[in-house]
Amino acid sequence: MSAVAKAQTFWRSAMEGIRHQPFVHAVSTITLAIALFTLGLARSAAHELDRLVGSLGGEVRVTVYLDPRVPPAARTAVADGLRRRGMVVEEVSPRAALDRLVRELGPAAESLRGLSEDPLPPSLEVRVPESMRAPTSLRGLAAELRGTPAVTGVDYGEQAVERLSAIARAVRWAGWVAFVVLVGATLIIVSATLQLAIYARREEVEIQKLVGATDRFVQAPFLLEGALQGIAGAALAIAGLIAFRQTLSPQLATLLSFLRLPGAGTDARPWMDALQLALAGAGLGLAGSYLAVHRFLRA
Amino acid sequence: MIQMFHVTKAFPGDPPALVDVNLTVEKGEFVFLTGPSGAGKTTLLRLVFCAEPATRGQILVGGRNVARIRQASIPFLRRNIGVVFQDFKLLPHRTVLDNVALSLDVLGVPRPEARQRANRMLKLVGLQHKTESLPLKLSGGEQQRVVIARALVNEPALLLADEPTGNLDPALSQEIMSLLQDANVRGTTVIVATHDLPMVERSGKRVVRLDRGRIVSDAGGPTVVRRVG
Repeated sequence: MSAVAKAQTFWRSAMEGIRHQPFVHAVSTITLAIALFTLGLARSAAHELDRLVGSLGGEVRVTVYLDPRVPPAARTAVADGLRRRGMVVEEVSPRAALDRLVRELGPAAESLRGLSEDPLPPSLEVRVPESMRAPTSLRGLAAELRGTPAVTGVDYGEQAVERLSAIARAVRWAGWVAFVVLVGATLIIVSATLQLAIYARREEVEIQKLVGATDRFVQAPFLLEGALQGIAGAALAIAGLIAFRQTLSPQLATLLSFLRLPGAGTDARPWMDALQLALAGAGLGLAGSYLAVHRFLRA
Repeated sequence: MIQMFHVTKAFPGDPPALVDVNLTVEKGEFVFLTGPSGAGKTTLLRLVFCAEPATRGQILVGGRNVARIRQASIPFLRRNIGVVFQDFKLLPHRTVLDNVALSLDVLGVPRPEARQRANRMLKLVGLQHKTESLPLKLSGGEQQRVVIARALVNEPALLLADEPTGNLDPALSQEIMSLLQDANVRGTTVIVATHDLPMVERSGKRVVRLDRGRIVSDAGGPTVVRRVG
């Protein structure tokens, strides 16, 4: 009963605080909204980049060159082994490989026409599942295939895969650094703003403490105010993100159409994203107000 | 109720506010602290409710040594001490009723019960018709009565009043003193710091006189004379 009574007291006190200092609370809420809007945009951008990197990874193909002297059954055994591991395998005969080369070279392929026999070896073109696209997995697969008697060589564009992977890693790290900087800056601004609100109510805090209020009792309404500001900031940010998606996003999609991929820009779980943003807002507001009130009570 | 042993309080750069003070206040007593401005009356009260730590000496309040009390325990000690300030210290944006109920809010008393008890206390101090007023709309005497109601609403064992009649005319001062005496009759130990010597003399209560931080006389009731510390 006592906890319910205290919760009601904290709620009333928080509402009163917001009512008496609307400007300070509006500044905090807008700061949080801007930070959360930026985080939401950054998250969408990171999501798109991930999708892009993932789809480029899908282009990675492993070409397995086979020994033309081994019987066809042995070559098929290699292909079947790969298929059993979930890979999509296309068998390319020497003739088909030559035809493809001629097509790709165009007029420059004239010199290939005089050849009496097919110069290219039979090969397998393998598309690996997503779980095996990491450079280490591809390296392991290539080494394993090279050890097979029917295989004379393996090519999977090692350099391209390594570079792509490095880019993806760098993008993720940059995202984390930007996230930490943004969250840190937001916390500093929000706690400084809320400290103004607390300072304006220092007399009330003093009186509460004189009649026997604990630090927790004093802190609770300010924490509640911080959390409410965070949720209000998140609501503004979500509204901003929806507006952004509906107005600017299609134009950006047109501008960057060369990068757009099937399914890009659609959000499968908008409510979950909104909930996460609201929780992030409440967390930021709570943390900012905790820092402010903690500093004030220790001063 | 209160025992002070060789208590000294010094503020940096100033002469000591209290010097080697020894004082005992029994449970249920009514004591006046008097003396000129700067004698140390307010400092003595502030030491008792832990607004300041003593520089030297020991202070026992209700058997607890406040010199050794942990910071986190101070609020729980204060819940047993009602304090009346000369400058009222009322929350200007809250109603009279809410100001009085504040002492119960910090204890987690349910709101209906807190309001009921605050109403009863306001009736006792004669302000039942002002419950929804804001403090700044009240006269000085009325504000002081609100402060007394707030100090007494949770039935503390000890009531400290710092110049409770300092801003009031004689008639209102008498009214306030009556409220404090009523609280004392109900069992609360009361210590009042005041300049108002005629009122002190009329009361016939124990009087502890301070001068430059020292107790210079301690005379109690019609016949008892206590030790000088």
